[in-house]
Amino acid sequence: MMLARVADSLYWLGRYIERAEHLSRLSSVMLNATLDQTDAGAHAVWIAMAAVGEPGDGAGVASFEAAQKLVLDRQDQNSVVSSLARARENARQVRDQITTETWERLNLLYLKVTDSRAAKEFSDSSSTFLHDVIADLHLFKGAADTTMSHGESWRFMMLGIYMERAQLVSRLLEVCFTDSPRHGRLDDHVALVSVLRMACALEPYLRVYTAEIEPRHILEFLVFDEDFPRSIRFATAQIEQHLTALTRSVSAGERAGPERLAGRLKARLQYADVDELKAVGAGPLLTTVVNECARIHEAIYETFVAYPLEMRLPA
Amino acid sequence: MGLEKSMAGITQTLAEAPPLPMTEAAYLPGVAYDEMFTAEGDVRPHYDPLHARMSTLGAEELAGRQRTLERSFLLQGITFTVYGAENTTERIIPTDLFPRIIPAAEWARIEAGLTQRLRALNLFLDDIYGDQQILMDGVVPRELVLGAPSYRREMQHLYVPHKAYANVCGSDLIRCQDGQFAVLEDNLRVPSGVSYMLANRDAAKRTFPGTYRAAGVRPVERYPDLLLATLKSMTADWRSNPQVVVLTPGVYNSAYYEHAYLARLMGVPLVEGRDLVVHENMVYMRTTTGLRRVDVIYRRVDDDFIDPLTFRRDSSLGAAGLFNAYRAGNVVICNAPGTGVADDKAVYAYVPDIIRYYLGEDAILPNIETFLCREPRQLQHVLANLDKLVVKAVGASGGYGMLVGPHASQSERDAFADAIKADPENYIAQPTIQLSTAPCLVDGRIEPRHVDLRPFILSGEKTIVTPGALTRVALKRGSLVVNSSQGGGSKDTWVLAEDHGPANGSARP
Repeated sequence: MMLARVADSLYWLGRYIERAEHLSRLSSVMLNATLDQTDAGAHAVWIAMAAVGEPGDGAGVASFEAAQKLVLDRQDQNSVVSSLARARENARQVRDQITTETWERLNLLYLKVTDSRAAKEFSDSSSTFLHDVIADLHLFKGAADTTMSHGESWRFMMLGIYMERAQLVSRLLEVCFTDSPRHGRLDDHVALVSVLRMACALEPYLRVYTAEIEPRHILEFLVFDEDFPRSIRFATAQIEQHLTALTRSVSAGERAGPERLAGRLKARLQYADVDELKAVGAGPLLTTVVNECARIHEAIYETFVAYPLEMRLPA
Repeated sequence: MGLEKSMAGITQTLAEAPPLPMTEAAYLPGVAYDEMFTAEGDVRPHYDPLHARMSTLGAEELAGRQRTLERSFLLQGITFTVYGAENTTERIIPTDLFPRIIPAAEWARIEAGLTQRLRALNLFLDDIYGDQQILMDGVVPRELVLGAPSYRREMQHLYVPHKAYANVCGSDLIRCQDGQFAVLEDNLRVPSGVSYMLANRDAAKRTFPGTYRAAGVRPVERYPDLLLATLKSMTADWRSNPQVVVLTPGVYNSAYYEHAYLARLMGVPLVEGRDLVVHENMVYMRTTTGLRRVDVIYRRVDDDFIDPLTFRRDSSLGAAGLFNAYRAGNVVICNAPGTGVADDKAVYAYVPDIIRYYLGEDAILPNIETFLCREPRQLQHVLANLDKLVVKAVGASGGYGMLVGPHASQSERDAFADAIKADPENYIAQPTIQLSTAPCLVDGRIEPRHVDLRPFILSGEKTIVTPGALTRVALKRGSLVVNSSQGGGSKDTWVLAEDHGPANGSARP
């Protein structure tokens, strides 16, 4: 049992944390890719910008300025600093629900990125700055995992993290496997490595497929791998697991429960036909994932947060 | 006692001021009572260990500890929000390194005085919302009580368990020049600051662990569970496991940290008005698994805002129908609505009479002498002595509608005199009070600053005075204003145990 508003805040706390991490990683990879003046580097920049919804025309983007905006622009709702500010705002709303250890990690990070010296630190050494932000977010997740009870509060937060992750990775893959107006098909080695880095998947990928980096394998790995925590299949399995635990005590009637939607999506990825994916391309499947996630999100709201009172009044 | 005189005092005591080794300048107590030094410049015995420790620490060491302390507050989010045009920022309330120490005997008197006072005030509230005996006997003027805006007619003839209207009370005490504590103000509505008491204690333990251990300080850490027990004691017996919640106006409230802190330490939900639903005079909160009944609401929202159906209609901070549920006895609101009438500035003057009326005792803790302009003879006195008095409007708070006579110009005083004559019932006057001073770390030096004392008293089935308090500090030199909105800070308050022999406890028989 917890307050509906609190569940809402924890869910969004998770989403914003994951978003901040993803954006930091995209920025970091983007800056790294442009160190060499190659066409593949420009392609990687295009992928990163398209994945955050600003594809442009594919012409050369000033990557440092773009990354700085993506990380530190408080006016931009979709920047790392805005995501962290919102994560912290949500955490403040539920300060009584999360442990002091967890709160302190986030608060510390927030104070760091909003500090007046942050812009200078970023321009002095953007890679160190972003590396530290990502590491701090890992510390936050670690603190949450080791200090919070793995009950309802924690599950709502994890639900937010995996919902966001499933959608972010789907979006990234959609962009990668759509032809770029300027760079065409994604087949350059450097660009492919950048994509794996954006999904934090390079090292785990190499252990499975070795250094033969092929678009087909990347897709297979990031969509269907059972054990890699950033694969869509892994994320949906987590979503299903948390929702099943959360809905155990809800008697919401015959409506489409979020756990059933999540179970269906999970099964779909679990039993998908990889050969079919090869034949028709990843597009339809990725679209399904994005749409299903949106439906699960709505169902979570209907079930836990914004339910009609008439149905829940005591007899 | 004006500022001029205290400045004079500073220069007089310059010669015999006791120097502290680590500061270039000596510690210069003024004419006010100093918590650490006697008028002769000797260290008071209960300050000895701290004084000794302070003397061994260099200025740099102290500054370092101060930084660590401030950082830990910032990290924990013990902040209040400052709203600006461009950016909203968060600031910590300045916290001073050195604890303020109160010996056991003095505390015993404070404790007895506060218990007595709150008992009488609760009986007073029960009476004025009941048979109004005290008004019929003419002890307190009828129109003063019934005409006060904080008097809630809606509360008349409601049953309040244990007659405990003010479950949480935070009275402001000051120490006068003669060393005696007196009550400056009662806070019976939604007193705040208890989280700073707890956070300061936490910090002080880390800053001066050895001194703390040796001093024999009484613990304050039980406050959250005692508060929970007090709140639970307000429910009907047949509700076996009452659901307690803390009601906050929300994350933008300046005391939000405290609301979340108390909810967390009591292990109860922190709710906002929008989480509550009233259905057939029962209060529920919206949870992930449906609606759940609420039994006790520890509200940190003012009377006016708790129920738009009964009180202010434009409020969205409370829940519609809450007061009716309270009337029906299905939920308890703590503190009860309408307690504000008992901490009204004009009613304050009658508290010693109220204590005598209900308990047949003299007040243990005296009031500050207060002149009621509604009484013609007192009005004459006030008008004749405007240059020595502080005049306050009864209805106002937070330093508004106030004249500090010694600091005002003649024309300001004349204007105020006209205002008083036009509406004498709205004004009271008190002598300018010299608060006691305590050592504080200011810009790397140890200097005396004026302090007050806010202890917290719980009242339900039992009345409990927490053995500790929030000491508020006026950080500007010579200033007597301790409010955090006007540059005030705080420090930890050590209440010493009765008998503290050698540090490592001799096994008592």
